Amino acid sequence: MSAQDRLPAPLGLLIDRNAPLTFQFDGKPLQGLAGDSIASALLANGRWLLSRSFKYHRPRGPLSMAGQDANTLVQLPDEPNVLADMQPLAAGQTVTGQNYAGSLDKDRDAVLGHFSTFMPVGFYYRSFFKPKGMWKIWEPLIRKKAGLGVLDLNFQPQYHDKAFLFTDLAVIGAGPAGLSAALAAANAGAKVLLIEQQPYLGGALAWARFDIEGQRGGQLREELLAAVESHANIRILKDATCNAWFTDHYLPVIQGNRLYKVRARQCIVAAGAFDQPVVFRNNDLPGVMLTSAAQRLIKLYAVKPGQRAVLLTGNDDGYLAALDLHEAGVEVAALVDMRSQPIEGRLVTALQTRGITCHSASTVYEALGERHLQAVDIRRISAEGEVAPHSTRIDCDLLCMSAGYMPVYQLLCQAGGKLAYDDASAAFTLSGLPAGLQVAGSVSGRHQLDNVLRDGSDAASRALLALGLASSSEAGDYLAEAPVNFPWPIFAHPKGKEFVDFDEDLQVRDILNATRHGYRDVQLVKRFSTVGMGPSQGRHSALPTARLVAKATGRSVSETGVTTARPPFVAEKLAHIAGRGFDPYRQTAMHQRHLELGAKMMPAGAWQRPAYYGKPEKRDACMQAETRHVREKVGMIDVSTLGGLDVRGPDAAELLNRLYTFAFSKQPVGRSRYALMTNEHGVVIDDGVCARFADRHFYVTATTSGVDRIYQQMLKWNAQWRLDVDITNITAALAAVNLAGPDSRQVLATLCSDVDLSAEGFPYLGVRQGKVAGIPARLLRVGFVGELGYEIHVPARYGEALWDALMEAGKAFDIRPFGVETQRLLRLEKGHVIISQDTDGMTSPAEIDMNWAIARSKPFFIGKRSVEILEAQPLLRKLVGFSLPSGSAQPLEGHLVLKGPDISGNVTSCEYSQTLGQIIGLAYCAPDQATPGQSLPIRVEGGAVVQATVVKLPFYDPDNQRQEL
Amino acid sequence: MSLHAEHFSERSPLYRLHQDAQLNALGDSCIVSNYGAGDERARAAHCGLLDLSNLARVGFRGAASAAYLEARGYQLPAVPNQALSQADGSQVLRMSQAEYLLLGSLQDTGARVRQEELAWQFDDTPNYLLPRQDSHAWLLLSGTCQAEVMAKLCGVDLRAEAFPVGSVAQTSAARINVIIANLPLGELPCLHILCDRASADYFWGALLDAMQEFGGQPVGLDALR
Amino acid sequence: MKIMPCPLNGPRNISEFTYGGELNAMPDSATCTDAEWADYVFNCENRVGVVTEWWMHNASSYWFLAERHTGSDEILRTFDPKEVFTQRVDFHAPAQEVRS
Repeated sequence: MSAQDRLPAPLGLLIDRNAPLTFQFDGKPLQGLAGDSIASALLANGRWLLSRSFKYHRPRGPLSMAGQDANTLVQLPDEPNVLADMQPLAAGQTVTGQNYAGSLDKDRDAVLGHFSTFMPVGFYYRSFFKPKGMWKIWEPLIRKKAGLGVLDLNFQPQYHDKAFLFTDLAVIGAGPAGLSAALAAANAGAKVLLIEQQPYLGGALAWARFDIEGQRGGQLREELLAAVESHANIRILKDATCNAWFTDHYLPVIQGNRLYKVRARQCIVAAGAFDQPVVFRNNDLPGVMLTSAAQRLIKLYAVKPGQRAVLLTGNDDGYLAALDLHEAGVEVAALVDMRSQPIEGRLVTALQTRGITCHSASTVYEALGERHLQAVDIRRISAEGEVAPHSTRIDCDLLCMSAGYMPVYQLLCQAGGKLAYDDASAAFTLSGLPAGLQVAGSVSGRHQLDNVLRDGSDAASRALLALGLASSSEAGDYLAEAPVNFPWPIFAHPKGKEFVDFDEDLQVRDILNATRHGYRDVQLVKRFSTVGMGPSQGRHSALPTARLVAKATGRSVSETGVTTARPPFVAEKLAHIAGRGFDPYRQTAMHQRHLELGAKMMPAGAWQRPAYYGKPEKRDACMQAETRHVREKVGMIDVSTLGGLDVRGPDAAELLNRLYTFAFSKQPVGRSRYALMTNEHGVVIDDGVCARFADRHFYVTATTSGVDRIYQQMLKWNAQWRLDVDITNITAALAAVNLAGPDSRQVLATLCSDVDLSAEGFPYLGVRQGKVAGIPARLLRVGFVGELGYEIHVPARYGEALWDALMEAGKAFDIRPFGVETQRLLRLEKGHVIISQDTDGMTSPAEIDMNWAIARSKPFFIGKRSVEILEAQPLLRKLVGFSLPSGSAQPLEGHLVLKGPDISGNVTSCEYSQTLGQIIGLAYCAPDQATPGQSLPIRVEGGAVVQATVVKLPFYDPDNQRQEL
Repeated sequence: MSLHAEHFSERSPLYRLHQDAQLNALGDSCIVSNYGAGDERARAAHCGLLDLSNLARVGFRGAASAAYLEARGYQLPAVPNQALSQADGSQVLRMSQAEYLLLGSLQDTGARVRQEELAWQFDDTPNYLLPRQDSHAWLLLSGTCQAEVMAKLCGVDLRAEAFPVGSVAQTSAARINVIIANLPLGELPCLHILCDRASADYFWGALLDAMQEFGGQPVGLDALR
Repeated sequence: MKIMPCPLNGPRNISEFTYGGELNAMPDSATCTDAEWADYVFNCENRVGVVTEWWMHNASSYWFLAERHTGSDEILRTFDPKEVFTQRVDFHAPAQEVRS
């Protein structure tokens, strides 16, 4: 069959007969048409076998032609597991089958099907784990056979992104109910987003038959589309899958490479219903398909689905489909109705006048054929699920089956809807939906076309009322609905292969066996048997499973229920979830200068900071050189990332008294004071300095990583305390450097004339405001690195100019920039802790010798009571300084400190210090190991234990003379 | 001699991204006049992005801030998250019950608002200056596509019907905190976006990426005049 | 995604907010027993029902209170903390407490 062999127009709604496309399947060149799916093009070429099943490698062909089954999963060069019935055909496309050994037509692994008796349900759980250790042997073998498709490890990632989409009303599904709802709502002034999974609008109107004459669906579709497509208030998303419902009508809708995050004020789900297969032997044979699939092939793609067909039905729609097939030139050999008669009597006459034989109260008991359907074995139904011995064989190459309809309840159940089964009508109903979520059409059990349309407009009316666009909602009269579901379309066969779940190759006995193993709950049956876990997620297996479990456990289907529906509705790519990816980073005003100077950058939270200046392979040399420069001459580090908070107002000191452990009321203006913060647990969480620039103005620094959290906590506390104070986070507003080293005063003096920089005029811990290179600056004399030094904080807009001016002024003094890693070494030499590096989630002030920073006479500070409670208890560990000779193995952060056979602590900082000529570090240890001079065993890389010596801190300049120059 | 951003000590965090652009003086700094290619006016009308980081802006917060600003001739929005245009083109954004953000006007190159920053004195009145020019970068997203561009970055509905002229949103865009104000320049639809200054390089890139599907590109000040 | 009605900024995606824990009155840290203090610091009732919680809108650093049902996750009301914290809180030295 080629493009020319298609059925005549107007059949073939989606195809363009003038645009043939050449493609390849399993190495064979084939032709299809633009508008084809891969599956429709293959079927047009008479190619039915598309894949091999997951477990038994059985031949499989299209089942639903609507992307609802796993039978059509094929491999594209750069993508496995593509649904051939959803994927548009593209020119030159290379398509292959999946899950076979050798060739798709002659799969060597098909032999597995003959061993199915030995691979019962729960096989993996029960067979490979005993005796102990066996799984290790089995796993690689199973892995080789498991999984579908091949990944292209050289694929180029495509651009995927996300976008919010705001609307008054989202209508999910553009079948008759959805179109009717969208139109009614849009006419009343609502902005409507109409979301349709298929590439065409109209749903079943586009392919199903609603009357004997076969005119109504098409006409109605044209009328509705004319109104909907031109409506200014309706935005249509076709080829778009609403993949979940999340709280407050937040809908992820995937269209192409974009994930829309739809936020709707109201939501109508008109998602329709899934045609349900009949369970009988070999119901998975290529050539056996859902009735709706055959109709889709004819109407959408003008593909004649077979030469000689049998229809197996549980409702009247099968009769109408028989007329479709007949008109498409398919010889309809028989219609097999599982019921005793149709509800609409005229249907029998309509078929008889066309020479179609009807078998009532009968079923297909077995499909016959090897790789494609050749005949069916028809039997009278003698009792529920049982057949009479007399067999009628009818030759055919197409069997259309439909047992009824299962509502597309997935989104609704995700929204909290409760699914109930009415045993009388053998149909599901939904209740308990959240406010603002309406259902319409066959998903709510309306199948009569007039009812469906009415249901759509009524749902719209309810939504409009909620949107305030209507003053009342009306509910119309509905025609009586005829039953559409045959209650027991399951016919077990002694030889099995009656598939309940096509994805997972599960037969009737697999489900029954699960119940025999004691798994009575349908959720447990699922987990034990894997039913419903495949790509089609129970769309066709949930109902027969519920029925089988109900019967086997002597309950009704309402009592059994079905398994939970969770997002996503269809498989979604990680690329859709990731989107384009947003990874914020922050740069200081001097960022480009660091790059120009060859800095090795490192992340500090979102910030990018220089670690040191030089090549990574020269890390140690760079750090030592930068360290020596600070100790002997002058260095400069960008400390803009340091947190900065302005605390202003009459209660500024009082607020700090409550937040920090120290006392600040009597702190003189022009001075800074160390500030340590504990949380309510008495754990050290941050530190900084409080610089008092005025009686009512403190400038408080915080750690780079902690400042945002600290700022938020300050606001939260003061929302309770109501102190008269303003707290402002000015971290990004200030650029700052620390100019440090014996020559720093001289460098600063060349640029700053309005501050007395002398040791007496601006002593250690003093703070001043003045101008540096003409830029307004806050100056703080600090000692973090243990040398004479000035932190200079300026408005960020001037940050780069400040850097440039200082580098220029420092030239005469051989100034050199230094990075964060160097700063860490410098402060380590001084024994200063870094909060969150040398402290953890348990550190109390006493453990890090910070008792001196606690003002005990204050009535309150945040961690006060906990600190007191902790202090009354024996100390459990202590942070100490340690040293090792320069040639020793160097401990790393996190390495364990030992005490006999036990772990007593861990290393928090460790580095080689050229200044001291030894390895130095900080570590937690037991209090009785903490005396200077004691030996401290540390287990280093590879398990060796080195004996460090506990050293009194600081390592360098113990009298602090250098920083106070 | 042509202007160069490094001639000024006041610099936008984004100035390197405008290396090849023609610059114009703006207060104590400079701004891009044009990039010298294509019809920037048409681009601005459709989808353009302008760095206004060197235009003056300043915040005030405190119980006395409203009275302070009114005494200095500003009209204040009645409720938080609203903006009010002043006669001289300056804008006053009300951020909370007691916090205001002043955005300078292009008409006076920000002179009036810059003066507010200089004139403020720290005293006993509860009116605290907030250094918004240094804490935030200021970007202007212009043109008819602005809501669709922002929908790719931000969870707030910024379509004109939901976010009319004068609206202010403090929200998250591309995962950083931003202040967004709908303040057209004459007929030109404009979203003014203030983001963390240190994140400006990141956010500029994220915006340009989102603008790409609409053909959006940076524009200079000339395109707005 | 859930929508949180912020008293300052209106309805927003809940991803714009930070949870700040249940509103939980601090006992007088100067006079309460160790057990009372430990209960305040470490324990949480985790009950089903309407609880009052701290939430902060990230972009505006605005803290507010929300009444939420922990069973249905329904947010019943959000409001400014000034409704609860009506006046300045002060701490006094324990010795004074005993005398008064």
